[in-house]
This record gives sequence, C-alpha cells and structure tokens, in this order.
Amino acid sequence: MDAAGLYIHVPFCTAICPYCDYAVLIAGEERRAGYVAALLEEMELAGSDRWRFDTVYLGGGTPSALATTRLAQVVGAVRARMALTDDVRLHLEVNPEDVTVEAARAWRELGVGFVSLGVQSLDDGALRFLGRAHGARRARQAFQVLREVGFDTVSIDLMYGFEGQDAAGWQDQLEAAAALAPDHLSCYQLTFHQGTVFGRRLARGVLAELDPEIQAELFRLTHRRLADLGYEAYEVSSFAAREAHRSRHNLKYWTHAPYLGLGPSAHSFDGSSRWWNLAKLRLWQTALERGQRPLAGEEALSPSELALESVMLGLRITEGIDLARLRARCGVDLVASNRALVERLCDSGLVVVEGDRLRPTLEGLAVADSLAREFELSE
Amino acid sequence: MPAGTGSVPLDRRVNNVRTFCIIAHIDHGKSTLADRLIQRCGAVEDRDFRDQILDSMDLERERGITIKSNSVTLSYTARDGATYSLNLIDTPGHVDFSHEVRRALLACDGALLLVDAAQGVEAQTVANMYLALEHDLEMVPVLNKIDLPAADVERVREEIESDLGLDAENAVLCSAKQGIGIDDVLEAIVERLPAPSGDPEAPLQALIFDAQYDPYRGAVLLCRVRQGVLRPGQRVRMMHSQSEHEVEEVGLLQLRRVKVDHLQAGAVGYVIAGIKAVSDVAVGDTITEVQRPASEPLPGYKEAKPVVFSSLYPMSNEEYPDLAKALEKLKLNDAALTYEKDSSAALGFGFRCGFLGLLHLEVVQERLRREHDLSLIVSAPSVRYRVTLNDGRLVEVDNPSYYPNPAEIAATAEPYIKVAVMMPERYVGPVMELCRERRGAKTAFNYLAVGRVELTSEMPLAEVLFDFNDRLKTVTQGYGSLDWELLDYRDTDLVKVDILVNGEPVDALAQLVHRDKARPRALHYCERLAESIPRQQFKIAIQGAIGGTVIARTTINPFRKDVTAKCYGGDITRKRKLLEKQRKGKKRMKMVGAVPIPQSAFVSVLKTDKD
Repeated sequence: MDAAGLYIHVPFCTAICPYCDYAVLIAGEERRAGYVAALLEEMELAGSDRWRFDTVYLGGGTPSALATTRLAQVVGAVRARMALTDDVRLHLEVNPEDVTVEAARAWRELGVGFVSLGVQSLDDGALRFLGRAHGARRARQAFQVLREVGFDTVSIDLMYGFEGQDAAGWQDQLEAAAALAPDHLSCYQLTFHQGTVFGRRLARGVLAELDPEIQAELFRLTHRRLADLGYEAYEVSSFAAREAHRSRHNLKYWTHAPYLGLGPSAHSFDGSSRWWNLAKLRLWQTALERGQRPLAGEEALSPSELALESVMLGLRITEGIDLARLRARCGVDLVASNRALVERLCDSGLVVVEGDRLRPTLEGLAVADSLAREFELSE
Repeated sequence: MPAGTGSVPLDRRVNNVRTFCIIAHIDHGKSTLADRLIQRCGAVEDRDFRDQILDSMDLERERGITIKSNSVTLSYTARDGATYSLNLIDTPGHVDFSHEVRRALLACDGALLLVDAAQGVEAQTVANMYLALEHDLEMVPVLNKIDLPAADVERVREEIESDLGLDAENAVLCSAKQGIGIDDVLEAIVERLPAPSGDPEAPLQALIFDAQYDPYRGAVLLCRVRQGVLRPGQRVRMMHSQSEHEVEEVGLLQLRRVKVDHLQAGAVGYVIAGIKAVSDVAVGDTITEVQRPASEPLPGYKEAKPVVFSSLYPMSNEEYPDLAKALEKLKLNDAALTYEKDSSAALGFGFRCGFLGLLHLEVVQERLRREHDLSLIVSAPSVRYRVTLNDGRLVEVDNPSYYPNPAEIAATAEPYIKVAVMMPERYVGPVMELCRERRGAKTAFNYLAVGRVELTSEMPLAEVLFDFNDRLKTVTQGYGSLDWELLDYRDTDLVKVDILVNGEPVDALAQLVHRDKARPRALHYCERLAESIPRQQFKIAIQGAIGGTVIARTTINPFRKDVTAKCYGGDITRKRKLLEKQRKGKKRMKMVGAVPIPQSAFVSVLKTDKD
C-alpha cells in the first residue's frame, strides 16, 4: 500500500458553532479521559501492520481544546504503535482561544509541523454571526504566537459567502489575512447543513443563503485575489504560498490515497474499501470497551464507483484527474469514452487536457460538482 | 314454447325489480350514498367495506371520480314486506365521460337526482339531468348533506323546481355521510321508480352498457336485458358489429360476480362469451339471439370518438416495448382509447393516442404510471384539424409533425364546440372575458334561477384543451362548471409553432395554434421551459418559431458555481452517492443536443399557473 494518512477525530469543542455538522460535543474531563483510552484501544484493533503513514492529522472538533497532556498521550501512542515514515507530517487544527505560548510550545514538542488556525474571519461582527468564541484581536495574537513559536506551515481558515457580505468586504478580509503572511489559506464558503442551528434558521426563513450569483463572484474573487497575493490554489478551497506548504494529508482524500480514520465518525479507505466509525462518542467508546471495532458501515468500491470518485475528486484539484491511473485502476479511458463532452468542455474553457491529466480551469473548479455528473464511465 | 327459453321456469316477478342510477354533481356525495345503500342492504360485510366501494380503481378513489361504469344488485326488503332486487348502476360524473353516462342511463328505468343541500343545483346536475330526461327516466330528487350547517333545504328545493323543472315537494332528505334518511331513499326507489317493462318471451334484446376486463375470462359485458332471456349455451349476435359468440356464463354483480342460470327481461347482470378484449365489443351494442333475432337493436349505440390527441413517449427508449404492452392492456378495458405508433426525432419511439378529453388523457397517463410503472413524456395535446390542400385534397392532421408545408395549404378548419358554463351570477363578467380570450362566438347567458346563470359560447375545442377548465375554476373561484358538446368544423388560420432548444427543434413540443395565439403560446412555452430546465455550465436559448421566424425567446443563464466547499475523508461516500443519484436523474432526462430536459418540463408547459 502507498504511504497512508492517519486521521484522528477529536470530537470535543468548548462551544458548538451554529453551522457545524461534524460529530462534536462539549464534555468534561472524565469523558475526555475515556475518549483517549478508547482511542488507544482503537489503535490496537486497527491492525497497524497493514499501514505506513506519512501524515498524521488531528482534526475535529477542536483538538486544541484537548489538554496538551492528553494530546501528548495520543501522539505518543501513535508514535509507539503505528508505522510512520521518517518524513511524517503532523497536522493540528487549533482555535485561536486555545493558542497560548505554552500550548504552542507543547504542540511543537509533539512534532506538529502544520497548524491550521480557525480564524474564520478578522471581522468581529462576522465572528459573532458565526458564533465563534474569539474576536479578531485574539485571532491575530494567536497567529503571532504560532509564528513566534515556529511551525513549518501556519495556515489560516476563513469562511465567506454569508448574507450581507459583498465583494469589497470579502476582499478586505482576504487582504487582511494575507497581510499576516500565512503559509497556507483555506477559504470555505458557508454551507447550510440540515440539523445545524443555521440549517434550522434557514428552514424557518430567519437566515437566507447568499444569492448564487454573488457566491459565484466571491469564489472567483477569492481565487484571483489570492493568486495576485502569491497564493496558488491547489484545490477548490485550499491555497498555498509554496508547494511545500500544501496539505499533504488533505491531498490524500482528493487523490484517492489510502487513509485510516480513528475516533468517532472517522472514515477510512484502503484503496478499494471504505468504512466509517460510529459517530456518537458513547457508542464508539462502548464498542471499543467491549473490544469490538466501532464500525457504523463499510463498502467495497466497484471499479465504476472508484472511477466515479476519481473523477469527482480529481475535478476538485488543480492537478486534475490522473488519466493513466484511472485507466490502470478502473479500466476507464475517460477521454476516449467522452470525446464530444471533453471537446465541448475544452472549448468552453472548463477543462484542459495535458498529457495524462485532465485538469479543471478556475471556471471548471467552480462547477466541479456538475462536471462530475457529465462523464460516461463505461469501461 | 319458443326456442331458447329452456326448461327453467322464468321468474315473473319483474315487479320486484328496480334499475336506477344516481345523478349528481361531483362532490355532492354520490359515492357515499351508493356506499350507504350497499351497506344498508347487507351486500357487504362491514369488515369488508371500504369507502367508494364501486370505484375499483385506486385512481377513481383518490380523485373521487368514477371513470368506468359499474353496477351492483342489492336485495332490499321494503316496508310493504316484499323483497326487491335493486340494480344500482354507477355512472361516471365527469364531462369527458358523458358518453358513458348516456349508455348507463339507457340501462336504467329511473334515477335519483342527488343535490347537495348546501351547494344546490350545479352544472353537471343539470347536464346529466337533461340526459336522463332524454331517456325518459323517472326521477326522484334527493337532498344530501342536510346535516351541514350551511344546508338550505328550501332554497335548494326552489332551485330544483326553477332550474330543473322538477317537483321538489317530495324530495327525500338524507345525509349519506351520517346515515340519515337512507331507508327513505330506499323506500322512494321502490315506491316511486317504475318496475321494468319487457317481455321475457320476446326475442332477446340486451344492451351492453359497459365492459370490464378479466385477465382469465376476457371481456365481461355489463348488460341490461330489455326483452327475452340470456342464458349460457346461447349463440348470440352483436347487432351492430355482427360478431357472433357463445354465452359461457351469465350472472349478477353483487360487488363480485355471482353466477345465475339466466338473466331475463328486466335484469341487470354480466355476460361472459369468450370475447378476448374489451375493444372487441362495442359498448352500446345490442345482444340478440342468433336463432331468433330481434328485429332491431336498442338505441344507445354511438362510437366513442377521441377528440384530443397526444403522443406518449417512454422516458427511456428501452421502455418502449413495455409501453406497447401496457397500452394494449389498457385498451382491453378502455374502448375509447386509441393509439398508433409514432416517433419523434427528440424523444424516440412512442405512440400517438386519442382521448375523449384532457381528463381521459390524465387518467391514462396516471394508470400507465401506477399500474405499469411507466414514466412518460406527453406531447402537447392537439385536436384534429382538417386541412384542404391546393390540389383540393382534404387531410386530417392531429399531429404537428405531419402538418403539411404551409405553401401547399389552401384552407384549414378546426372543430368547434358549444360550451355551457353554470355559475353564480357574479362571475358572468370574468367568464365572458375568458370566452372572448378563447375566441368564443355567440356568447350568451340566461338565468336559471335568481343569481344563477348558464353561459353558452361557441368556441374552438383547441381553446378549451389548453387550461380552459383551470382558468374557469380560477375566475369563478371554483363555482363555475363546464360542459361541452361538439358542434362542427369551422375555418381557421392555423400556424405551426416550433420550440427550439439551443437551435434544435423539439418536435414533441411543436404545436398547431391559431395565428393570433401563436406568440403568447410560444412565450408561455419558452418561459415554462426556462423555469424547468436545469441550468447548465453553458447558456441555453429557448425559442418559439413559425417557420424560420423567431416569435418568442427566453434564455437560461449558465450557473457559475456549484462546487461544495468542503470535501474531506468522511464526505466521500456520501458525496459519491449523491452524485450517483444525480447521474441517474440525468439519465431519465431527454437530451436535446447537450441540454438535458426533465420530464417535468414537458408537463409544466401544459399548465397555466405555477403550483
């Protein structure tokens, strides 16, 4: 198996953001201790001999909300029980309110190289709307602390595309974030999910989605402006100052590389099968306490399902679909079986075909979801 | 003894038979009253009972309409101590099926005229009552829903007397829903409706008033024996179609078929005679005996002629054989439906079908969907035009694809109908305006009673096909009701409007319309399509054109972004499944060039208002 990614889902938050649909909860020390114990149990069950990891990603939830001692326990166990490559990269998601010099030093000590800072916005009004626990000042301070303590890559997460936002306002935000000179930016458009506070507000008509035309404009603005500021897009929402700062871990998802997910709701993929964990902390934990794998579901992917995913994911990244790999893995000759379509998409400037790659242009990235619908995937 | 009467003694007690139907406006409670009569006479155990028991199709129950005629023979012991056989013949209520109503009425000796005590006399009541009067049926007015707070028995009595010219003094009062007055209704049937006349010794004359299809037995004919006797083993002849059959079985309909030895003059029952399909029998035909034929058939025979034509295409071409089979099956049970092969450049193979009206079209489409799981595209309905070519030849055209080259056309004519709308007086203005919009001529109205008006207008049938009934309901807030009959063909100025999607004509959307209506109709189509065709990554132009001249146009702008922001490990399976679902949905759309057109788009163009 190719070098894989290890994902560890930390389900704890100090407050639940009204837009978030991940498996998260607010819990006390006792449950956190129980979680860590169960996580160590899951590492035992996972069968580490199959896997060799070159990335470890602590996501959530809010991993930074976990005491550094508990984080150290988790990372220590990973190092002790999992096969890691020499150049393994540790990726940590942190929230500004959790960033102190001490904490940051402790994370560094654990070997964390890539830190994603959940800034979301540098505008206090927007932060209040998003239900965040921090203000813009705290976010800036946190960034400076991370810089001073020193990580290979410091990334800023931003959100945009909510009601009332216009191009000028969003451009200010982008420029303010870029002025901090992060190595990486993730810019997510706000999505309304059922079952979240925002989802309910949307259903009640208290909240509205931003006009799709404006969304489209903001999306292009993000890509154009960040390109001007020296950040190259490598995925729909991901921008890096240099190639070395790209998220090696996240790229695994988009290139169909194998990954192992631990923790409630985490998904795993070994190149042909995918399985996912029980999403509720209690259920996940109970299964592990009984010595059982905490599975909620699994599927073996057929060649056509693999092909569809390859196309769907490949159209999200600027390096595009690896046509030779698709042919080898799934027996699909994508261009040959979609001649007229590819010609039309090339003519309308949505994709380009270069060698063994079919790559989306910026316009193509913007409509990646519907492009994936178009392709015929017969062998 | 004459041949054919056999040795079984004939039942002379025809005095104890009553054959009747219930005439009512939709919603006035006809099916509920029928249910109560059936329950009261114990024809069905309570635990087997379900509402609208005579409507056997799910579709009939759901829409609260009766499409096929049905009949049931009830046994009722009256207050005079005698036991009566009551034949209740259930008739369709909708104007599209007035032909069926006519035939069913011919089988009856009397009718209950059921009127909602709150709503009063309505258009259909009047129309069907006239039909009943034409056939000399004895009528008993019954006021239903007397338990409603809004019931106004005196006003409705007056309406019956003034609008219908019937004596309402002895109207029976009931509430079918509450079971009030049901015995009074039964007594009135026995006392006030006539017993059948007819001589069991005379040559056989039996009227076929409907036919049902049984997958094992073939056509099951519903008939009323007027003269003579029907019994198994008889050689019989259909007097109109001249076909001959041997009677296999006769019986009574008592919610299920109950075999009997014979059906004699006055009886209503069924006949099975080795006839394969319902379409092999002409409903309205008269059955007589080969050995001793009647001198002439009973009245009632009239070919059910389709007046609305539309093409049905399966969503996917692989379903074409299934559609063919399904139509064949429907035809077994629906003699009025006609169909022949058709093909469309845009939609592939399909069938051109003829219907009695738009409701009939809807019912057929719905039955194909439910009973045969077929999802269909229905082309714009058309009437049958008469086109005179320059060389003098007359051709009939009901399919825009076969419309001759305009340069070769000398004249065109279209069918006209006489429309009758009944409504409260206050809607006269808007309805006259609606008739004017729809090219109505000789529009006139007269008062049926204080505050109630009947408006008549001569109007092209094509104008009524396209959403007239919907618009009528809107402008009269649901109070207006419509009836119509064919008049004749009149000269018209016809054009063919093509609908083009990104320059490609979609033949199933083409239509023949009056020149004055071409532009608004084309615009309506363009706008509806623009609403229902999903945006693509490219711009879509939708145009309406006559020949090469564009007369209407809309544009669907491309969407500029649809990519979801986040796609991490957990989302991939779910996201792929969503994508698979969308791809399946797209496969069910019809591709016109690179533009996928959903089935809903073909449906949406036929509707006026946004739902």
